[in-house]
Amino acid sequence: MKVRTVGYFFKQAFKSMWRNGWMGVAAVTTVAITLLIVGIFTLLVINADFIATDLESDVEIIAYMDVEASRSEVLEVEEQIQAIRGVTEVKLVTKEEGLEILNKKFGQDYDLLSSLGGVNPLPDLYRVKADSPENVEPVAKTLERVAHVDKVDYGQDVIDKLFAVIRWVRLIGAGLVLLLGLGAIFLVATTIRLTVFARRKEIQIMKYIGATDWFIRWPFFIEGMVLGFIGAMLAGVVLYFTYDFLVTNIRFSLTFIPLISDMGLIMKILGSLLVAGTFVGALGSLISVRRFLQV
Amino acid sequence: MIQLLNVSKIYPNKVQALNDLTVKIDRGEFVFLVGPSGAGKSTFIKLLIREELPTKGQILVGGKSILRLRKSEVAKLRRNIGIVFQDFRLLTDRTVFENVAFAMEVLEHSKKEIRARVPSVLEMVGLDGKGEYFPHQLSGGEQQRVAIARAIVNGPRLLIADEPTGNLDPETSWEIMELLNDINRRGTTVLMATHARSIVNKMRKRVIALEQGRVVRDEEEGGYGYES
Ligand SMILES: Nc1ncnc2c1ncn2[C@@H]1O[C@H](COP(=O)(O)OP(=O)(O)O)[C@@H](O)[C@H]1O
Ligand SMILES: [Mg+2]
Repeated sequence: MKVRTVGYFFKQAFKSMWRNGWMGVAAVTTVAITLLIVGIFTLLVINADFIATDLESDVEIIAYMDVEASRSEVLEVEEQIQAIRGVTEVKLVTKEEGLEILNKKFGQDYDLLSSLGGVNPLPDLYRVKADSPENVEPVAKTLERVAHVDKVDYGQDVIDKLFAVIRWVRLIGAGLVLLLGLGAIFLVATTIRLTVFARRKEIQIMKYIGATDWFIRWPFFIEGMVLGFIGAMLAGVVLYFTYDFLVTNIRFSLTFIPLISDMGLIMKILGSLLVAGTFVGALGSLISVRRFLQV
Repeated sequence: MIQLLNVSKIYPNKVQALNDLTVKIDRGEFVFLVGPSGAGKSTFIKLLIREELPTKGQILVGGKSILRLRKSEVAKLRRNIGIVFQDFRLLTDRTVFENVAFAMEVLEHSKKEIRARVPSVLEMVGLDGKGEYFPHQLSGGEQQRVAIARAIVNGPRLLIADEPTGNLDPETSWEIMELLNDINRRGTTVLMATHARSIVNKMRKRVIALEQGRVVRDEEEGGYGYES
């Protein structure tokens, strides 16, 4: 195939796109919406993953000591806890400190201790940090067997729930994308069918002249792929600027939500959208070329 | 050049269009294929360009069987055959020049070759200076000339015309016949299906007469026959 021939294919493809007008716009829009939703869900999922992991790595394990354990007994186990594999930080919160924290919550003027009848019911406790999320559970398990430890608690429930939500988001996203993707392929196929119909006379002449099948098919494929590519570009541009806006604004107003702003990753997502769009376009035209272009 | 050996064609609807046909056409001949409507003339042509396959028999073009060809070989076969139809089949949104150039573009000839070859072919078919016209600005005879130019621009060895004068008045038909004769004299084999009696009688060429899918007559310098 010659370079000039490739030029000819593109010329034919663009001519058809121009002629198909609104049908092409509809196909491009569907591809764009589909890919926009793919993009939104992808960003949603990776950010939720990122936030969950961030929370998880921050998880504190709390080891409540027996209320009856004496202060010296409590202090004795600190080294033992420190020695557990994966533990990075150990901090003792005495029952007095605990009461103080509670008091602050209820307000300065309220005398919690006297309303409790002068007896502090709180246990001493250790706040323990693990070096990685995977180590949270084993550390917690080991802590349970340390002497005078009454109960071990960590935020795993919340995180498990968050991951469950992410799983659902993924599932719904995948379902939505599948439906919309089929719609996009269908619309591209319909557009290409229009082109095949508009060019049927030309195609017949080409066959009589002795054009090869692929020479006849290429312009249709290119038209489909260009439709998909343009749709993907639109989706990419909208996604990029919206996300950029969100990241810049959230960083200042909602500082506790860590959004991913890794340019390399974002570009990878946009690149994948372009590939996916072109692929959807190629698939759509393949269907029509096979069904309606009897060459 | 062309050989049909005991060829039969039965369409899927059980219509027998050709019945045990054996025909040989040599290089450089001018042959009329005559017969009433439905005799099988178009089917004969469709077999030669591999638009249809015979139900029975063998077909040789240029000494080679065309029954078992890959798709790319079908394309190659058609490059050696120029074809002209009754209804011209021009691209109405393109100029005369573009219509003829199209046949060269499709076979990936360069712009330079196209610019050199198309004007000389247009001149040969008598359309000098009409290159920028659109088909609707031309008479029927001129449109058929464009179709003939397109059919011969790639230099085929065989030119097939299926009732090329069917839509033309007698005088214009006659001009087209002179053009086809001219092309034949330059060395292209010409096969023309027609039921234009006066033309066949005047031309004094070989005539193969079909009736209900059978060859009923084959004579050099023949006439249309069926005096009535
Ligand atoms: N594609 C087809 N399918 C079924 N029957 C056909 C087809 N083409 C032609 N025929 C039939 O075959 C016979 C010969 O047709 P054709 O070759 O077109 O004759 P001619 O060109 O001499 O008028 C006719 O009876 C016609 O109806
Ligand atoms: Mg016919």
